[in-house]
Amino acid sequence: MSSQPITISSWPRAILHLDADAFFASCEQAMHPELRGKPVITGRERGIVAAASYEAKARGVKRGMRLSEVKKVCPDAVLLPSDYETYSLFSLRMFEIIRRFSPDVEEYSIDEAFVDLTGLRRSFHGSYGIIAEKMQKSVEKELGITVSVGVSLSKVLAKIGSKHNKPNGLTLIPGRDIHLYLDKLPVEKVWGIGPNTTAFLGKFGITTALQFARKDEAFIRKYLSKPYQEIWHELNGRSAYPVVTEAKQTYQSISKTKTFTPPSNDATFVFAQLSKNLENACIKARRYKLSAARIIVFLRRQDFKDSGVEIKLSSPTAYPANLFSALREGFNSIYNSRELYRQTGVVLAGLVSEENIQHSLFDDIVKIEKLEKIYKAVDSLSERFGKHTIQHASSMPAKLQAQHEGDRGDSPQRKENLFKGEDRRQRLGLPVLNIKV
Amino acid sequence: MPSFSELGELTGIRSKGAVSKFINKLIQNNILGKDEKGKLIPKSIAAAARVLGTVEAGFPSPAEEELADTMSLDDFLIQNPQSTFLLKVSGDSMSGAGILPGDMVIVDKGQSPKSGDIVIAEVDGEWTMKYLRKRGSDVALIPANPKYKPIKPKKELKIAGVVTAVVRKYK
Repeated sequence: MSSQPITISSWPRAILHLDADAFFASCEQAMHPELRGKPVITGRERGIVAAASYEAKARGVKRGMRLSEVKKVCPDAVLLPSDYETYSLFSLRMFEIIRRFSPDVEEYSIDEAFVDLTGLRRSFHGSYGIIAEKMQKSVEKELGITVSVGVSLSKVLAKIGSKHNKPNGLTLIPGRDIHLYLDKLPVEKVWGIGPNTTAFLGKFGITTALQFARKDEAFIRKYLSKPYQEIWHELNGRSAYPVVTEAKQTYQSISKTKTFTPPSNDATFVFAQLSKNLENACIKARRYKLSAARIIVFLRRQDFKDSGVEIKLSSPTAYPANLFSALREGFNSIYNSRELYRQTGVVLAGLVSEENIQHSLFDDIVKIEKLEKIYKAVDSLSERFGKHTIQHASSMPAKLQAQHEGDRGDSPQRKENLFKGEDRRQRLGLPVLNIKV
Repeated sequence: MPSFSELGELTGIRSKGAVSKFINKLIQNNILGKDEKGKLIPKSIAAAARVLGTVEAGFPSPAEEELADTMSLDDFLIQNPQSTFLLKVSGDSMSGAGILPGDMVIVDKGQSPKSGDIVIAEVDGEWTMKYLRKRGSDVALIPANPKYKPIKPKKELKIAGVVTAVVRKYK
């Protein structure tokens, strides 16, 4: 029974999943070749591991581990601050390279892509394996980072393929081989199946992905909700999730958070971080022409406990000036001067298009128009001179912290090592190789 | 190019033989051709169209029409945007080529290095920027400064990219 294939149709569809290996750490190793082969960790400014190179992983370093623990497990690990500017450049470039192979590319995350390759064997005069290998080799040659690729009949299966052999792996799962890959795979390793569903399926004696896939449709429809039915179809080689190419047009909510070390209980400083979160969230909202009807304010303590509060606004807005009193109110209700805080965050929720706002009789139209003019000016200055050219005064202490992080080496090297004509706020949109010649 | 059956669907012709006749007519009229593998390729289906620029309202600006063919400084300096990196030069081994300490060089990882190119190379574990000189299987890295000697790789030579331009800002 186990040896019976799931489907005899080899390639009714071909979906590729590409997953960069240890992305942030790999970008750092690409920019700093002297770090190749070494255990590299990013996320120093947060105090925890954001990404670990395969060399570090081999020594037992895991994502989310505190830096103090890393020093015990791997004392020679190179700890680097995050350089999101460079990682973003690498990510954009990776997607552009992938787009040379197919127009149907879904940017699933900063380092993962789904690509629909169906029908392209003709254009490339080669198999799906050849196409996948060309893609993988192009990324490695042009960016200097490795990626792992899985190709199969559905997204869920393609993800199983890419994870099967990491790093720098290439796994093809045609219809007739699906059962071979699902046979030993624990059901909780399937994308979309979490601990609760795993426990539930366990009650029926279902522990492997193959057992789950082989259940009859009546069982699936009786005991599982739609998302899990879709996963069941996908495991059986029937694609339920198409590759979605559209870029994000809008957001349901926008959140901005910042982790800082060392943790602090200074009210002015912590509020300044929140103020900066708020300004950043509003900048993003204005960029997508959205206004928020609710704001959520939260603080995370040193022991990782969170406290948050949601505040409804009298009228939707994307102007920090309108939101500071709510922010102050929220902050005061959750802040405790005896606690040490490591992270602050703001979520703008209930987002509506700024064009759809109906102002009530009680709104001060003159003030609203004044604010509109002010923030238009702020946004065009930011476009010209860089983000945060003009900031609210309440955010100032956070700016000083950023400088302090720079002084103690927690700001990325890219921001410190500038070319003539660049400044700390605006730099060329190209990654810089850190080679001494 | 669409397959014969897809062409059949597009044109409403049912038999593959008839599609084949149709294709041969197109080949005769030089609208389609065949590549070395015998596969169909388009020949003059696409007619060259003059890029005029965008018209928003009213008359297009005569100046705009002329500028549609210009390239930006970015396009001029960068051939392969996905594989182009920057590097700040610290040494003077290529000063004779006009590359001075402090300059920015533009490095293309996507180009295949040829003899005579300036390359960023890792030789026996050390990084350097030099002219690449290949004579058959004989490879050497040549400086542009009499203070430095040519380098002949003993163990391994890895080329990280080709230097395509140097940029120096005075103001």
